[in-house]
Amino acid sequence: MHTENKSKNPFWVLGKSGAYAVLILGLIATLLPFFYIIVSSLKTDAELRQTPPNFFSREPSLKHYTTILTDENIPIERNVMNSVIVSLARVCITLFTSSYAGYIFAKYHFKGKNLAFGVILIQIMIPFQVVMIPNYLLVVRLGLIDSLWALIVPSMVDAFGIFLMKQFIESLPAELMDAARIDGASEFGIYSRIVLPQMGPSLASLGIFTFMFTWNDYLWPLIVLTTPENRTIPLLLVWFQTQHTSNQGLVLAASILTLLPIFFVYMFVQRWIVDQATQSAFK
Amino acid sequence: MAVSISSLFKKETISDGGKLMAQQRRFAYISLVPILLYMGLFTLFPILFALVMSFFSYTPIREGSGFLSLGGANPFIGIGNYIELFTGTGKPAEVFRLAVKNTFLFTALVLPLNLAITLPLAVILESIGERFKTFFRAIYFLPTISSAVALTIIWAYVYAPGWGLLSLMFKAVGLVPPKSWLQDPNTIYFGVPLAMICAVVAHVWQDFGYNLVIFVAALQSIPKTLREAARVDGANALQEFWFIVVPLLRRTILLTSVLTILSSLQVFVIFQLLTRGGPQNQTQTMVLSIYENAFRFTNSLGLASAMSMVLFVIILTLTLIQFRILRAEWEY
Repeated sequence: MHTENKSKNPFWVLGKSGAYAVLILGLIATLLPFFYIIVSSLKTDAELRQTPPNFFSREPSLKHYTTILTDENIPIERNVMNSVIVSLARVCITLFTSSYAGYIFAKYHFKGKNLAFGVILIQIMIPFQVVMIPNYLLVVRLGLIDSLWALIVPSMVDAFGIFLMKQFIESLPAELMDAARIDGASEFGIYSRIVLPQMGPSLASLGIFTFMFTWNDYLWPLIVLTTPENRTIPLLLVWFQTQHTSNQGLVLAASILTLLPIFFVYMFVQRWIVDQATQSAFK
Repeated sequence: MAVSISSLFKKETISDGGKLMAQQRRFAYISLVPILLYMGLFTLFPILFALVMSFFSYTPIREGSGFLSLGGANPFIGIGNYIELFTGTGKPAEVFRLAVKNTFLFTALVLPLNLAITLPLAVILESIGERFKTFFRAIYFLPTISSAVALTIIWAYVYAPGWGLLSLMFKAVGLVPPKSWLQDPNTIYFGVPLAMICAVVAHVWQDFGYNLVIFVAALQSIPKTLREAARVDGANALQEFWFIVVPLLRRTILLTSVLTILSSLQVFVIFQLLTRGGPQNQTQTMVLSIYENAFRFTNSLGLASAMSMVLFVIILTLTLIQFRILRAEWEY
């Protein structure tokens, strides 16, 4: 074991325990800020104001968490629902448009195909900060400002998603589609009944990334949403930070509550990725 | 799975080209038209309109006369906005020039720090057993999947004066922490304000997971024999790292560097929430300037659009370099 380790790692002078020491140091550096916020969020208001502070609370309580979840002045249920609705809507729409357009670009030959694909790829090259100002005006003109539609309507087609799905569908054998055609399937039927069922893993990873991106998105919601009830979770968090400067415990607890759903999803993604790797090893 | 199904069918392609192909083409066109129209409205039109707006003194508060309120009360001023940005004495223009400098400074600090952490860490991570590798990688990747807003608020408590995590750690090892990490304009190390250093550290912490997993994957794909040969020839650990591993990864390093630069240029949350552009505009960046001029202070969308065009040109240049790297022939 040790010799194998040595043969792979240029830092073999560190030895195996040295390698683990570096990795664990990195682990601590990564987790310590999270850990500090979690233990601080369990402190009472008095403990948070105390100097010098205790690292751990003497009388830990979940008071800040229950306050956030039950206080009627904090529309957290509405804001969570908004984030869930927008994220799920964008995942479903993105998965459909990406796989459908990816299918067309991968399996059909027609004039102007490269030009059309080029037009779509422009989106990847344009920084968001360039289109956000005109898109804001557009959303105002369309009457979508300060509504959840403003978060969904401008992001229904994802060039990167189309690119990924096209790559994957190209690897599917053309014989599959031809066979279905002989059996009388319509072109759309080939997409929905032959291509889509093959795409589980690709759709899952695109869906997960779209979900995480939408859940964490901040700048665009900040520009188009103003009413407290319409806010998404990151906006609630920022509003909290500016409103409750005297009540730090609430802000700390709110940050943890924001992170939890994504950590939860991530746990399953990790397992899913490991499963994928194990399965392919057996094939 | 896919292969086994397809092998059941006879390997023959449909020879009836004419009618069937025409039908397929029609289906492709009908399917793509809505998607292309949509892209036209939400991608092409915004780019063109941003460019057009940058030649106007434009604010949505004024009702202009022409198309989309252009003209009239929102007059055409040619390259006036750009002249103002590069040479003008107005407050937004002066702050923007500072912001360009700060954005480049931020990027120039983030890139080497990121690589100095991720490259050695990836090499070490790649060398350990599979089970622990998965575990460490999952943890290191945690910040990159988290909400940037939540992470930035967490870092506000890391940098909090007095009871913040960093101040506590300084005291624990007997050092005297600075009175303020983010708000003292006079603490400057090697020409870099302390608040900027804090922003760099917070960003690298949030972002290093991406490059790490890319490097680990790249390391797994390079031939082991090359590294073993070097060791047989008597190379020591650092020589092996510098003369074998780094050159073998040069394409990956180049690509991740461009991606890291691109993302660093567009960092927003840290500067808006953590440092708020301060102290004394020492952490004011281009993206923050664009946002503030367009949506917070004056609603001068024309000027902000001109700023966004400057950012666009910088980013486009880097993206083209990235494509060149991707397209170039590379061989180990």
